[in-house]
Amino acid sequence: MAVDPISLEVFKNMFISVSEEMGVALLRTAYSPNIKERRDFSCAIFDPAGQMVAQAAHQPVHLGAMPASVQAALDTFPGALRPGDMVILNDPYLGGTHLPDITLVAPVFVERDGAKELVGFVSNRGHHADVGGMTPGSLPLSTELYQEGLILPPVKLARGGRLNQEVVQLICRNSRTPEERRGDLAAQIASIRVGERRLQEVVERYGAADTLEHMAALLDYSERVTRQAIAHIPDGVYRVVDYMDDDGLTEEPVPIAVAITIDGDRMTIDFTGTSPQRPGCINAPQAVTVSASLYMVRCVVGDAAPANQGCLRPVSIITPRGTLVNPEPQRGVAGGNVETSQRITDVLLTAMAQALPELIPAASQGTMNNLLIGGHDLERNRPFVYYETIGGGMGARPGKDGISGIHTHMTNTMNTPIEALEFAFPLRLKRYALRRGSGGDGQHRGGDGLVRDVEFLSPARVTILSERRKFHPPGFHGGHHGHPGENVLLKGGYEEVHLAGKETLDVAAGDVLSIRTPGGGGWGRPEDKE
Amino acid sequence: MTGNSGTSGTVVGIDVGGTFTDIAVLQDGRLTVHKLPSTPANPSEGVQRGIAEIDAGPAEYVHGSTVATNALLEGKGGRTALVTTLGFEDVLEIGRQSRSDLYDLNLERAPALAPWELRFGLPERVDYTGAILEDLTPQAIETLAALLQTAQVDGVAVSFLFSFLNPLHEERLLAALRRLPNPPFISISSQVIPEFREYERTSTVVVNSYVGPIMARYLAELEQSLGRGLRIMQSSGGSITARLAAEQPVRTILSGPAGGVVGAFHTGAQAGYPDIITLDMGGTSTDVSLCPGRIKETTSATLGGYPISVPMIEIHTVGAGGGSIARVDSGGALVVGPESAGADPGPACYGKGEAITVTDANLVLGRLRPAQFLGGRLALDKARAEAIIAGLAGQIGAGIQETALGIIRVVNANMERAIRTISLERGYDPRRFTLVPFGGAGPMHSCELAQELGIPRVLLPTHPGILSALGVAIADVVKDYSRTVMLRGGDIDRARLEEEFHGMEGQAREELGREGLPVERMTARRFLDVRYVGQSFELTIDYPALSRRADLRRSIANSFYQAHLQRFGYADRAEAVEIVNLRLKLELAMEKPSIEPQPLGPADASPALLEQAEVVFREGALPTALYQREGLVPGNRIEGPALILQLDTTIVAPPGWGGAVDPLGNLILEPLSERL
Repeated sequence: MAVDPISLEVFKNMFISVSEEMGVALLRTAYSPNIKERRDFSCAIFDPAGQMVAQAAHQPVHLGAMPASVQAALDTFPGALRPGDMVILNDPYLGGTHLPDITLVAPVFVERDGAKELVGFVSNRGHHADVGGMTPGSLPLSTELYQEGLILPPVKLARGGRLNQEVVQLICRNSRTPEERRGDLAAQIASIRVGERRLQEVVERYGAADTLEHMAALLDYSERVTRQAIAHIPDGVYRVVDYMDDDGLTEEPVPIAVAITIDGDRMTIDFTGTSPQRPGCINAPQAVTVSASLYMVRCVVGDAAPANQGCLRPVSIITPRGTLVNPEPQRGVAGGNVETSQRITDVLLTAMAQALPELIPAASQGTMNNLLIGGHDLERNRPFVYYETIGGGMGARPGKDGISGIHTHMTNTMNTPIEALEFAFPLRLKRYALRRGSGGDGQHRGGDGLVRDVEFLSPARVTILSERRKFHPPGFHGGHHGHPGENVLLKGGYEEVHLAGKETLDVAAGDVLSIRTPGGGGWGRPEDKE
Repeated sequence: MTGNSGTSGTVVGIDVGGTFTDIAVLQDGRLTVHKLPSTPANPSEGVQRGIAEIDAGPAEYVHGSTVATNALLEGKGGRTALVTTLGFEDVLEIGRQSRSDLYDLNLERAPALAPWELRFGLPERVDYTGAILEDLTPQAIETLAALLQTAQVDGVAVSFLFSFLNPLHEERLLAALRRLPNPPFISISSQVIPEFREYERTSTVVVNSYVGPIMARYLAELEQSLGRGLRIMQSSGGSITARLAAEQPVRTILSGPAGGVVGAFHTGAQAGYPDIITLDMGGTSTDVSLCPGRIKETTSATLGGYPISVPMIEIHTVGAGGGSIARVDSGGALVVGPESAGADPGPACYGKGEAITVTDANLVLGRLRPAQFLGGRLALDKARAEAIIAGLAGQIGAGIQETALGIIRVVNANMERAIRTISLERGYDPRRFTLVPFGGAGPMHSCELAQELGIPRVLLPTHPGILSALGVAIADVVKDYSRTVMLRGGDIDRARLEEEFHGMEGQAREELGREGLPVERMTARRFLDVRYVGQSFELTIDYPALSRRADLRRSIANSFYQAHLQRFGYADRAEAVEIVNLRLKLELAMEKPSIEPQPLGPADASPALLEQAEVVFREGALPTALYQREGLVPGNRIEGPALILQLDTTIVAPPGWGGAVDPLGNLILEPLSERL
């Protein structure tokens, strides 16, 4: 069968459906609220060379980075990945992004003429609520990677279909919540097995040659769609600098600079001028920077091409070594994936807004408001770790207001239902509401942020990783900026203590933590409102 | 309600669709069917006219109503207020804080059905054990009542945190608001769905209050003209008295598609095929549902962006239908849908629109016969369809017929994905099922679709067009009850569960007794929603029957492990489980029409043969036999390539497929060889 417009569409459907089915299997069998309720996981399939062909629409920050995981597995075991093998990793400098994100990669083989033929890879990534390290939740205010938890370079979790239980035990022993880890890993393994089987079925149905040919064709297809979209962007060089509040150790603002060059159907993204790597934990491994770039490209490309590596072929990304967007090994990265990625996206979109003012929204909240709480639950007499990211204001769009209280850009995790949270943890919600008026005014208003007030029923250690506490999300074209966020501790429920954007603290039962997330920027001048 | 015996009398099923209102009359075990145009502006008008036309005498009427559905989808519900625990007024708007599309910068969120100025927080709090932390005071209620009076609302929804564990505050507020002069339509979450997860529960009760006033008006009007024997189809596939439906209209919101599944399941089971996949292909979308020997239900559905957590038949919808538009995207792939040409301007062959649709492709391939389409009432312009497809063919560098075949293949791939979602993703192998297509377009695509999925058999009911009306007529009377209990370990004990169920059942029988239903003949079925401790997806299992020896906890765990194995392919038998919800169904079985099996006639179908014509298949243009469905009798054999024409649909039997009419009048098509 040759590739034609019809078979292309049929295979596109099929590959996406395989990765979606992996996601369903993972979601339904996972153990932790973080994966099940919040859906902090992703799944994708790859060609035999390790190129990502299709993904299920899960978390943008994972998907652009997963090709690096498959590549790391291939590099670590050159020619030594066999049927039934499964590689596990989380090393941010060897295919990972930050330590809680544990990735599984498995080669998929089919039988042909008595020999086993490699037809691709399946991979999934789940955010594990705790993998050890300095503070519960494993996203600490660290100064080096070793403080952040268990580091897994690519190792074989299974050989020839036999699971290496020792690896599972090693991981569980390094977590504050071992039972949860065991359950989530089992779910990831089950999901990999589903993906493997489904990809084999595609090959049984259409043959290996056709399947491989269509994998290649889909990469070409996404490349064509992307090139066409880039060709519609006016040629030029678009430069932007924006700042992160700080790295959590000092007060120093951290610049991220980008110059995007559009030249016909090619795009060059150059991060030269960005801050050197920081002593604090906000360094973003290169895979994270690539994820943010893929996300931006995918937003600018209107048509629903699969987000695969073909989208990146017309794009060159320059990330100078030793900078915030491509740090040297062993630097702390806990916040790179969750916070720096949001600011990278902000500068990328702000640069594109110069070229495409009628398409790009004003800045959204620009943070994920990571909240990690751990300790010993006195009432249920067991250890607990709770992780949540909190939505905020979406920037106003050309033509319409931004949405309030929603996750934007690099994350799309759900909230933990209040009733589920109180059943599971020694916490009580006092308030969960829109933060009215926090969105920037404009011809179109930025969305409002959120307020989430949590009361502690047991003593606990809290880590907050948040941004846009000093520098506001900018409005565009005369729109007002959104309000920065605030983190406030109400000691004993009333005595206000203002906290930094990035902070670790011990709290007592009866204390209330109030996270108030940033609003989105406005678009256009308020006086132009209809 | 003496006529509601469940064993005799006349039952009339009425299904109101966008274009047609279908009526199925069951009298002395015989089924007759009627079709007449709908009156979308005032649906009750068409219903009343239809009933006058059939003149069935004294009868019970069962109605599949889209009034609530349309009010929700078109944003035409009442002015609705929401009352919550203070500090949580915005939960309805925030939802789960996620967005429906990752990359769409122009994304919209469905507007909150209770706008912020109509959302009120009251000081009160219950904790996760059901203990009251803060009392709801009379002063707070008074203040709220005054605000609601000024706000002039049609409906009020109440949803307090953990009200499913302790409904006291919600009930106290309900009683107070009912005493208001001209009270609005009020619903409280502990009565609509006493289950945990505040957003989904709140959304459900708000939808209920939003569509409630409209539904109540509509049903009152209808009941006035039809008398007391009116029942309404629910999304769960059971029917309920009009009065109860008016109280909880949210339970009827997907009643249309539910009727079709009930009708198809009944037809399949009678023919000896209890394991079916239904395929209801309409103009803009296709509904599929998998019935593994029973009709499957879910309690997590979303309509128009609004979660609705009441029991519903598990139906998956995909944006692929006869009106789906085909185009070449910027990367050069041929895509079909989800955009649809709808009924106006409609497919190119209707003579107005320029968009190429699946219907145009079927016409160009000769699979749709212009003269027979809707009995010839709507002229189809084949030349126009060909001319417009030629443009698309030029774009992809293929011939006209090749392009039309491609459109069919792509739309089939979309439907295939939908069927994979409900089968393989849920642990069911489609190769063990029978495909039952209905709706206008389903029978045209079913054999090719079955072939792609390895489904070994397609069952074409005698009247694919009125399956929904039939399903509505034969639906059992069912009322669902649920309660979140959250029990684990030593808390799971027989006495406690018996007491809970006993209490639920007592309340249920009392409520239904007040409706005049013969509760003494209604059976109660008990279920448990169970999950691994701390997990957040529950599986519903049967409540283990009373037995002296069996250890209750072990038998619950075993049923759960089995269900888990089926659903997910594995089960950890060492892991502890917990009971989340208790579910109770009170049912009154209704009479099903027992169609007399006919003796098999000759295999020769030639008396029904209309003509030979050229029809295009993947194998090329082939001389194809055209049969009239009404002329076929049991025993007649058909061999593909063939088309079987009937008033509201056309059945395509491709080359390599064939089969016979069974004694009940169903046409059963199967692949002729193991060529699958």
